[in-house]
Amino acid sequence: MSSQSNTNLKELFLNGIVKENTIFKLALSLCPSIAVTNNLKNGVFMGLAVLFVQVMVNLTISLMRKFIQPKVRLPIFMLVISGWVTVTQLMMAAFVPDVYGKVGLYIALIVAFASILARAEMFASKNSVIPSIVDGLGMGVGFLFALTVISFFRELVGKGSLWGNVIVNTKPLLILILPAGGFFAVGILMALFNWINTRYAAKGVHASH
Amino acid sequence: MTGRDIFKITLNLVIIYLIGGFILAFVFATASPKIFRNNEEAEKKALKQLMPDADANDKLGEWSIHDKHAKYFISKKGGDTIGYIIQSFGKGYSSYINTFIAVDKDFTVQKINVLSHAETPGLGDEIEAPSFKDQFKGKTIEHLKVIKGDTKDDIQAISGATISSRAVTEDAVKNGVAFLIKTVKEGGKADVKPEQH
Repeated sequence: MSSQSNTNLKELFLNGIVKENTIFKLALSLCPSIAVTNNLKNGVFMGLAVLFVQVMVNLTISLMRKFIQPKVRLPIFMLVISGWVTVTQLMMAAFVPDVYGKVGLYIALIVAFASILARAEMFASKNSVIPSIVDGLGMGVGFLFALTVISFFRELVGKGSLWGNVIVNTKPLLILILPAGGFFAVGILMALFNWINTRYAAKGVHASH
Repeated sequence: MTGRDIFKITLNLVIIYLIGGFILAFVFATASPKIFRNNEEAEKKALKQLMPDADANDKLGEWSIHDKHAKYFISKKGGDTIGYIIQSFGKGYSSYINTFIAVDKDFTVQKINVLSHAETPGLGDEIEAPSFKDQFKGKTIEHLKVIKGDTKDDIQAISGATISSRAVTEDAVKNGVAFLIKTVKEGGKADVKPEQH
């Protein structure tokens, strides 16, 4: 019984990373995936902030789910989300001011993330605390993974550097760090992600036959 | 919807919003003194960096540019005035760029520093890079203009971020230096209007 629920939790966790990856599979929250990913550092910190907010929102909503009146659930979800985002903002400004100076502008945007509201509505408001946390972790890590991959690719190819350290002294493909290049980068990586996924799935089917 | 429903919903919202408000107030109370100290320390450090030789940077007064309040300072070493530091703002591509400019007694720029801005990450934020900021050393007010392409006399624009380069050079720094010359040197009134672009 316990091993059964463990595999369920594992599947739940992986669901957010692979099967329902916010950016590569669901194509949600594409705004930040383009706006902040032109350098690796911003991408990673944005991903971490989203991971934190996602887990805390899922936890809070799941704890309150029996108390929330269904008719006003959306304003309550929004309050919980914006509350946690504000907490993240204040904490970052207090404890990591230099990072906050870089990504602070985009942290406030997390309030409007479709992916976070969607998880609150579809999952946390219907499930108990532990699965909700695991679901939040999975979705958050999936988002962090996607932002890391995209920003790694864009900074390396667009700017010739990584984490601010110069690797090649030219800008190989400047367009990749411009907003338009963000669409290209996300499109290319999304295709790659899905291609690998399909191949992997096909192999899995072969093996089981 | 009966009156009872309306009452229940209202109560539900009020309770949750109150709790949320209290939690936020608590976090804000914890974080804001620290944020305030961070900003203060950042300013002190910024002044020290701009005028490494000075042993005191005293506030002279305040002025405003783009409807923002900014401060200016006098730098002294052993009682002698060695220069001035002025805070200034430039209207950039997507934000107001908060800069500090250090000039010597003759109002030649010694150093500039970009304190905060929200220009495009990866392009506009190159205004923070030493390769851009170092160009300002030794520039008099006549040479505070942006040139696209190679230049030694003036300021070379960052490729892909001409608007941000202009905002720093021709808006923030130039107006700041002009203000200092007008107020400190010529003793004029403190109301320089920033040029419109």
